[in-house]
This record gives sequence, structure tokens and C-alpha cells, in this order.
Amino acid sequence: MDTSPYTRNNHLTTLFHSNHNHNNNINIAVDEVALDNMHRANHSHTSTSRSSDAASETAEDANKWASKLLRECAKAISERDSTKTHHLLWMLNELASPYGDCDQKLASYFLQALFCKATESGERCYKTLSSVAEKNHSFDSMRKLILKFQEVSPWTTFGHVASNGAILEAFEGHPKLHIVDISNTLCTQWPTLLEALATRNDETPHLKLTVLALTGSVIKEVGQRMEKFARLMGVPFQFNVINGLSDITKEGLGIGEDEAVAVNCVGALRRVEVEERENLIRAFKSLSPKVVTVVEEEADFRSCGEDFTKCFEECLRFYTLYFEMLEESFPATSNERLMLERECSRSIVRVLACCGEEFEDGGGECERRERGSQWCERLRNVFSPFGCSDDVVDDVKALLKRYRPGWSLLVSQSQGEDHVSGIYLTWKEEPVVWASAWKP
Amino acid sequence: MKMIPGDPFSLSTSIGELSNEQNSNTNPNPNPPPPTKKKRNLPGTPDPDAEVIALSPKTLMATNRFVCEICNKGFQRDQNLQLHRRGHNLPWKLRQRSNKEVRKKVYICPEKTCVHHDAARALGDLTGIKKHYSRKHGEKKWKCEKCSKKYAVQSDWKAHTKTCGTREYKCDCGTLFSRKDSFITHRAFCDALAEESSKLTSSVATSSLNFKSQDVMNTQGGLTSRGLITGQGMQNVPQFGAHMFHQRPNLSLWLNQGNHHMNNPLDVASSSSSGVPEGLQMAQANNAMLGSSSIFSNFGMPPSNSSNPNLSLSPLMGKKGEGGAPDLVTLYSESQSKNSNSASPMSATALLQKAAQMGSTRSTNPSIFSGNFGVMSSSSTQTTTLNSNNNASQSCYQLDQAFQNMNQQENFNATSSGATMLGSSSFSSLTHSSNGLDQFMMQNNMKLHHPAGSNTVEHNLTRDFLGVSGSGGTHHPFLPQELAKFASLGSSMGLNQFTAGHQ
Repeated sequence: MDTSPYTRNNHLTTLFHSNHNHNNNINIAVDEVALDNMHRANHSHTSTSRSSDAASETAEDANKWASKLLRECAKAISERDSTKTHHLLWMLNELASPYGDCDQKLASYFLQALFCKATESGERCYKTLSSVAEKNHSFDSMRKLILKFQEVSPWTTFGHVASNGAILEAFEGHPKLHIVDISNTLCTQWPTLLEALATRNDETPHLKLTVLALTGSVIKEVGQRMEKFARLMGVPFQFNVINGLSDITKEGLGIGEDEAVAVNCVGALRRVEVEERENLIRAFKSLSPKVVTVVEEEADFRSCGEDFTKCFEECLRFYTLYFEMLEESFPATSNERLMLERECSRSIVRVLACCGEEFEDGGGECERRERGSQWCERLRNVFSPFGCSDDVVDDVKALLKRYRPGWSLLVSQSQGEDHVSGIYLTWKEEPVVWASAWKP
Repeated sequence: MKMIPGDPFSLSTSIGELSNEQNSNTNPNPNPPPPTKKKRNLPGTPDPDAEVIALSPKTLMATNRFVCEICNKGFQRDQNLQLHRRGHNLPWKLRQRSNKEVRKKVYICPEKTCVHHDAARALGDLTGIKKHYSRKHGEKKWKCEKCSKKYAVQSDWKAHTKTCGTREYKCDCGTLFSRKDSFITHRAFCDALAEESSKLTSSVATSSLNFKSQDVMNTQGGLTSRGLITGQGMQNVPQFGAHMFHQRPNLSLWLNQGNHHMNNPLDVASSSSSGVPEGLQMAQANNAMLGSSSIFSNFGMPPSNSSNPNLSLSPLMGKKGEGGAPDLVTLYSESQSKNSNSASPMSATALLQKAAQMGSTRSTNPSIFSGNFGVMSSSSTQTTTLNSNNNASQSCYQLDQAFQNMNQQENFNATSSGATMLGSSSFSSLTHSSNGLDQFMMQNNMKLHHPAGSNTVEHNLTRDFLGVSGSGGTHHPFLPQELAKFASLGSSMGLNQFTAGHQ
């Protein structure tokens, strides 16, 4: 930074004192402490004049300043306290950086969303971010990104292994297979399935893969690679792309009468507007699938329209976990991690700043996640759970062993009428991804 | 129904070991099969004079088949039974085993649907038939902890756990993997695969009748050729290229790059020859184009700087016939013969693994490939990011400006529209310095974009491969440098990372 810490301190002091009447004392103390600690953490050569009572709160707080500031700011926004909001946004801006540590990154991306929320420019910002992202999404970059992510973290491969296991079980003995794929992982799930089909059975079945693309750019190239790989594996294969989720019927998707169907949704159901989710699940049923596999991230962002603070808390909690996970999984100067973090920025803006009724049409990227238990409620109306076999559990455990420690598997234990079926991937004991399978 | 021409050793060995025996023992047969081209006989082709024994599944799986005639105690091994019999104090006569000529016994599989249920395909070894029955028709009770693969026979499981996780898989692009699943996923998306297969579709007829067998052939041929070529660092290709692709204009360019690093050729010289018979075989099988074309197209374009350490080819052009050939050829013929048995490929996994093994035993600077591969791709990513960000980042700058102006006015309700107006006035100064930086980076990347006359696909491939070693130096410090530049850029302008597209 160019400005010396001393001058900045004085500037802030002025600000705070001038607004003393508007804010309550506790908030100021928190802010001051947070700022002090932040300075102490960032500029070790600095000694501030107000360090006396803050000395007791040491590195602990210095590490968590982002969440405190962000929470304060969110609260101020929901209370429509413009002065306080202004202060906090300014402070966050000073301290935030997408290239810093976890706190700085979270501060940076959430700051952007909070700013948009406060200025009601969420929709525009989101569109900008989306168009930037679209331009950057070349096949090569996406491929590299997702493969690297899968190499260092089981975040996506967990869902893949669980789903493939269920699909293979459901497809046992059928000679003609058709998978309807609605996923955000660019078909990286399928090579291992193709290999399993090729090596497992005496008679290799015929596989048709129909991808319902939500974002259209690179999927064609992905399809070509899939076709070639299937040829290599010796699996008779056909690949189709359909844009959008409008026509989910047997005719619309080209499902033949003699085909065994599986519907695979990885990180896709959350993209659908909340009101439409019920209909979509029913549409799946109309395809008479042998199995429906659903993988979603474990977070509840539904309440953003009504209760901003609550939604913000949940958003912060989830993305803190995610960013920490990314930081610990990737090497320090990883370009891929940067890209993944940037992908999050769009979601965060979308969830926090585009929630109002006026933002109905989001161009297909709703991002309102729900927890596994909530998806279960929806799915149970139409389907029944497809039990998670021991083989699948073993496969998942073997998968997790191949990654860094910190990951584990949690099989849902709840019983009874409202029991939650499925398995969870946990990162440091926190469930982060939920995977389940369903049958008619 | 004589299967093996007059080989006296065939009677005493189990069918599966026949080929090895013939190789290692002196063969009185006047027409010995050439050792390098040994084909494995079909398992279960027994001596026609042997006695066929059909055991029930229960008897077959019984563990104690050697039973003492005196007390009916069962033993797993004959030696143990004999030891036990001594304890009965038998009179001398009865002590000896009956010495009448023991007729050779062969066993058939009790499972009716099995190939080996037929007496003509009986297996000669009891242990063999037991294992076969377990493997094919039995319950898989043994499971590997690491990869969850299941086995019916304990010895198979033990053998697997010893090697599980230790084997490395090598892709044609040079990257090594310790995990099979990441290898498979990578392989599916690898550029090396894409090029090869595109040649395949253009050159090989794909009638639906031939679909399966064609696939199988392609799979095998493709894999072995790829395995070869990986292992030999693509040294074979000139031979293929010269024979197969006369129309390729860049052959001469490619050959001229032989001057550089000579450290590889010595390693590889001995194995380069094996490519030739393989190549010829595959040419016959219509698969040569598969192997050669892939490598060829990868190297079709010269890099902008001519240094290309891994393409030291010219010294190897003429070499023929040293070691390394037999196992590869055997591999191919084995897979050929196995293929004719089953409708599906030998085992796609096994083929992949064999190819990987071939590759991994003769690695040619994989570190260069994999290391720079990564660098190249990241720099290409950043290039596209940068080039496309110029426009998009402007609107993000606007947001920053809005924020900055709000601060200065200390009026939170200054609307974004007002701020935008203010912002756009100082806009040009903001974008100016960033544009300068962008241009600098674009110039750096210029070389990447202009090898002459190539289409986009080859272009990218070339970049990934050749640019790796060639212009690696220029681009290596890309990431940390650029990040540092942007950080300082952002702070000097007072913009603190508000720009989503900024890199």
C-alpha cells in the first residue's frame, strides 16, 4: 500500500469519531479491534497507539477478521445503515485481496457481492462476470482446470464414483444403455465408467450419452473426446448434446424403447429455479429411468430472498470451507485455484445480490443450493432411495484414501419416515457434498 | 486333434505353461517355432489320450483331496499324506504307491455354460481347474483395500495387493500417473488421443459389421503403437512417416531437428527397431496410420525457435534389429490370439496397462513433457484471459471507480450512475497503464500464435508439445511475475482487486 499505516489510522479514527453517535459502541470496538489486529498481522513493523486493550486478542482474531467484518457489513446492509455500511465496505476494500490468504480472498469476493447488494447492481455485475468468464472458457483451460481440481481434491470425484457405482449396479445385464447427463463437470465422470463397462462385462453394452448442456461452449469438443475415448475402450458409443432443460421427454431426448435409462445430475439441480425443481424431478420420472443419481453441495441458500443475514451466514460458512479446502489442496501458486476462486465470485454475487423478485431470469444459473435433506424431501415424492451398496462405499473409501487427509465419508444414518438417504463427503468433519441415488 | 507338433514336453506340463517351456527347453522337434514369434496356445487343449475327469463343484473345491486309505484323513498336499501314512506302520509292500502307469488326467469345468466344460478344452491341472472355477464362476471374496478390486482366488488377491498403487501409468503425452482413475480421465481428454483418433476416422473404414472387431484391432494396434512410441520417444515415426504419409510436407523439417540433445538416442536406439516390425504388422492391419499419424501431426509444425531436444531423430533412422523387439512383438501377437477368442478386447485395462508398462520402462524425459506441459497450458490460458479481458475489465473498473468516488464524497447514496460518470472521466488513465502491460504480455505470446499455416487444432497441440521445450524459457516466469505486476498495478491505481477478470 502506498499510504503509511499511521495516516490511515488517523483517517479512520476521524471517521469513527465523527460517526460515533450513529453506531453503538460495541460495534465500534469490534471494528477497531479487528482493524488493529489486521494491521498487526499485515504490517509487523507497525505499532498502533490504541493497542492496549486489544493486545489480549492475538493471532486468533487476526486470522478471522474477514468473517467478522463481513458479517458486520451484511448486518449493516440489511438494516439499511448506510454510514456504517460505507465504513465497513471501505475497510474491507483496504484489507481485501484475491491474491492473499484465505481471509483476504473471502473479503475480496464477498465485498464485491456486498457492494452489489448495497448498490443494487448485482444483476449487472453478474452479467459482466459471466461474460468475462465465458470468454475465458476455452476447452483447454476448462479441461486443465477440472482435471487438476480432481487430482488434488475429491470434491467432484466423490460424486462421480458414487454415481457411477449406482449406475453400473442398476445397468447390470442390460445390453443397451442410455445416460441422460446434466452435470457441471464436463463429462469427466464418464471415462472411468466407460472403462468399467469395457472391462467388467463379457459382453460390452452399447452406451448412448445425452448431455443436457447448461452452458454451451466447450461441450462439443468434450463430446468428441468422449467418442474417441469410447472407441479406444472398445465400447459402442453415441454422444448427443441438447441445450437446456426444456424438453425432458423420451422423444425429446431420443430414448429408445429397449434402452435402460439413467439420469445423472451433478451440481445441476441447484441451477434450476426453486419453483421449477418439482417439475423437473417429475419429468425425470417420465423417462422411466432405472436410476437417478443426484450430487449436490451441502448448503442452504434458499432464504436469500427473505432473510438476508441468515443467507449471508450460510453463504459465508460454505465458501469459507470451500476456500480453505482449495488453499490446502492446491500448491501455493496455483493458477487453477485462482480460477476456481474466481468462478465462485459469480456464484456469490448471484446468491447474495440477485435474490430479489426482480431478478427472475438469471440466464440459467440460479445457484440456490439446498441441503441433502431438502433435496431428499423433493425426491422422495417421486422416487424411492436406491440403497448405497457396500461396494460403492468401499470404492468411495478407496478413492478418499488417494487424497490428502482431511476427507472422509459419512453415510447417512437417519432412520424412519423422513430419513435422509445418501452419503456425504466431509472435509474436516463438515459435510460438504451430498451424493444419492434413486429409483422409481 | 493334435495341438502341439510332437513336443514331448507338452504331456508333463500344464497347458498354460507350454509356450514358456518351449522357449526355455531344448526342442527336439525339427521345426521349432521361432522363439520370438511364439503364440500362446489356447488354454485347455489337452492330450487326446488323457483321461477326462468331471468333478462336481463340491468335490472340485474340496480342500483336502489326498485322503489316507486307512483312516480317511484328508490332506491338502500329497507329501503331507505320505508323511502321515508312515505313521500307520504299513508293511513294506503296501507302503509303496501303486506303480502302474498313471494315466494323465485332465479336468473339465463343472459349469455347463463354460468353455472348459467341453472335453476338448479340458484343463490338465487340478489346481488350474480349481482356480479357473473360482475366478470365473465363484464368489469374489477377496478385496483389495486400495482400489476395491475383487478377487475369488486368494493368491490372485495377494499378488494384486503387492503391486497395487506401485504401478505407474504413462500417457502418450508423457505424463506419469500413480492413480489409475486419474490416468483414465486424463487419457480421455488428452490431446494425444484426439489427434490419433481423428486420423483413424479419416483413414479406416468403419462399416458397422466390422465395428467390434475393428475397434478391437484399433484398440490393440493403437495401444501397442502408442506404447511403443511413448517408450521410444517417438523416434520411430520417420520410418512410418516416410512410408505412410508421403503427402506430409513437413517431414524434412522434422528430420532436420535431429541435431540437438543426443542423450536420448542411446537409450532408445536398441528399442527403435522394434517399432519397425510392429509398424509393418500394423500397416497390414491398417493401424499404422493410427500410431504414426498421431506423432506426426504433433510434430508437424516447427516451433518458432528451432531447439527441440526431444526430436533427435536422424541418427536413429537407419537402425534395425536389436533387443526390445521380442517382448513387444509377443505382446502384439498375444493380443492377436487372445482377441480371436473373445468378442471383446483382451481387456482394455490390460492393454492400457501393457502399453503403459512399455512406456514406463523406457521413459524419455517425461519431466520435460509434463513439467512444461503444465507451464505451457497455463501460459496459454493466461494469454486468452488477458486478451479477452481488456474489454470486460473495463466495466469492472467502473465499479471500482464508483466505489472510490463514493468514498471521496462520503455520500453513500451517490448512485452508481453518478459514479459512473465520474469514473469514465478518469477511465482512460486507468486503462492506459493496464493496456501497456497487456501489450507487453501479448507480444511475449506472439510467438505462440504464429507458426505458419497451421489450423487451430494442430496449433494448440504444437504449442503444447513443442513449445514446451522450445519456448519454455520465455514463459516460465509468467505466473509469479504477472501476478506481482498486477498486484502492484492494482495498488498503484488504488484499485484493490475489485476486478473479476483481472489476472
